[in-house]
Amino acid sequence: MPGHEAGAERAGGLAAPTLRMGWMAAVAVLCGLVFAVDTVLPFDMAIAVLYLVVVVFASSVFERRGLLMVGGICLGMTGLSFLISHIHDYDLSSVMRAVVSLAAIAVTTLLCLRNQAATRALRDQARLLDLSHDAIFVRGPTDIVTYWNRGAERLYGWSRAEAIGRPAGALIRSQLPAGAEAEFRETGLWEGELTHIAKDGRKITTFSRLSQHRDAPGEPSGTLETDHDITERRLTEEKLHEARAELAHVTRLSTMGELTASITHEVSQPLAAVVTNGEAGLRWLRREQPDLAEAVVSLERMIANARRAGDVVARLRALARREEPEHVPLDAAALVEDCLLLLDRELSTHRIRLDIDLPRTALTVSGDRVQLQQVLINLMINAVQAMDGLPPERRILRIALARRAGASDSATPPLLALLVEDGGPGVGPDALASLFTAFYSTKKDGIGIGLSISRSIVEAHGGHITATAAPSGGLRFTVTLPLVKETVS
Amino acid sequence: MPLPPMITIIDDDESVRLATESLVRSLGYGTTSFASAEAFLHSAQRGHTACVITDVQMPGMSGVELQAQLKAAGDTTPLIFITAFPEERIRRQVDAAGAFGFLAKPFDGNAMVACIDRALEAASAAR
Repeated sequence: MPGHEAGAERAGGLAAPTLRMGWMAAVAVLCGLVFAVDTVLPFDMAIAVLYLVVVVFASSVFERRGLLMVGGICLGMTGLSFLISHIHDYDLSSVMRAVVSLAAIAVTTLLCLRNQAATRALRDQARLLDLSHDAIFVRGPTDIVTYWNRGAERLYGWSRAEAIGRPAGALIRSQLPAGAEAEFRETGLWEGELTHIAKDGRKITTFSRLSQHRDAPGEPSGTLETDHDITERRLTEEKLHEARAELAHVTRLSTMGELTASITHEVSQPLAAVVTNGEAGLRWLRREQPDLAEAVVSLERMIANARRAGDVVARLRALARREEPEHVPLDAAALVEDCLLLLDRELSTHRIRLDIDLPRTALTVSGDRVQLQQVLINLMINAVQAMDGLPPERRILRIALARRAGASDSATPPLLALLVEDGGPGVGPDALASLFTAFYSTKKDGIGIGLSISRSIVEAHGGHITATAAPSGGLRFTVTLPLVKETVS
Repeated sequence: MPLPPMITIIDDDESVRLATESLVRSLGYGTTSFASAEAFLHSAQRGHTACVITDVQMPGMSGVELQAQLKAAGDTTPLIFITAFPEERIRRQVDAAGAFGFLAKPFDGNAMVACIDRALEAASAAR
């Protein structure tokens, strides 16, 4: 990578030739001084050890090759100096002094080389961190930023110079989810989603990893944080979520449209009964001898019927409402019964018999009542329509609820299994596989969106929906949803 | 004191059936009721009732079909229709077949009283 090499040169501060010439001159002057002192002054000591200063100095200004040359020159000059001053009168101590100096210079040169290599490796690693698209930064125990990579500069808008030395909290105002702080303090590791505010005020969502660094006694010395920007993805997901909710709402309305006649009947029947009971009550009271007992019965029936109409209206309003789905504990059997109330008329006009199998114990799931009702109503209407034109004895809608154990490991919760089964002609294996595909329909005028929506609703509840051939030959839909752990009352 | 005339009420919706029965009894008549036209046709009440008040739309046999069946059998029991879905086409059809009333639910008590009066007059005149 040529770019990488150029970066290395620049980072070492050795690019400018004039600067390099200056350093070389300085090293040469130092060398000359030491040589002069070593050769000319008649001290009985290892003056040559002063060459170490030259080597150490050179190691901070030259790369590997330059340092090796300087080391070699120093060794050579030490030898030359020895020859010049002791060629005629060498003794053991002067030879030893020269050897010690030579060894010291050689060892120092090697140590400096190793040090340089280690520094270079560190610098390369730091540069790699800059290549990362992720924001990477380090903050000390008091939240002060000590490292800030290019990714962090790009993502948050703060330059390295601006960021280093300032508390990270003030820079990017990160919001940790509840419990994250404690988990991080305990384990020294945390990963998950965070939101931050960039320099220009933009809200940024990241997938982040935090890891605690500890010094030798085990005290926290800093935190390394890696932030992967997922702002775009989150926005897209939110839009997708909204679109899906909108589509679910629209299909719900169209389902209700299909049911208009039945629903009108469900409301108008009790209202008619209210009026007629009122009329009857008045007449019982206005008889020559008012019959109070009959009048009371009429009044009681008025109230009961008005309540019934009100219940249906309330359920309809809930179905028609466009609201954010909310997850609450729901009793599965009550859910089924609510749907049957709305479909009562539909079932009787299509002459469908119900075969219902509800367990005695309450089965509680967590979910959005309206959305789950939508799934159930959709499955039931499909079943009813599938049985049109069949002989009456085969028009049986079977609904069953059961508790199913989770997978073998105890970690997975037990499941609710909800069966909706018709006695219709069923569909072929090919159609069975495509039933949940959007815009696929076996109905003459079906849009093919109901089951696809149903599946996305069920899956958003952590469940599954499958279609299989029922033993009767009809179609069996099985919805499984995680059961909520029963609370001991 | 002669027994009050017996009026039969047929409606699949229990709440409407009970309310209509109570109204008719408050007028001083006796009542029997059925949840379906078939049940009435198979009962001992058939041929012994002064008047039938029947719903039009019911699972199984409809009120209109009941009228046709009675007529075919030569049964002249007067019929009054009540319906949650008043359609002009059906009104004309049952009127042509001799119905004594076609009332939309919720029906007006006085209108029902008028229909019953006319039906019972016709029934007694026929006897």
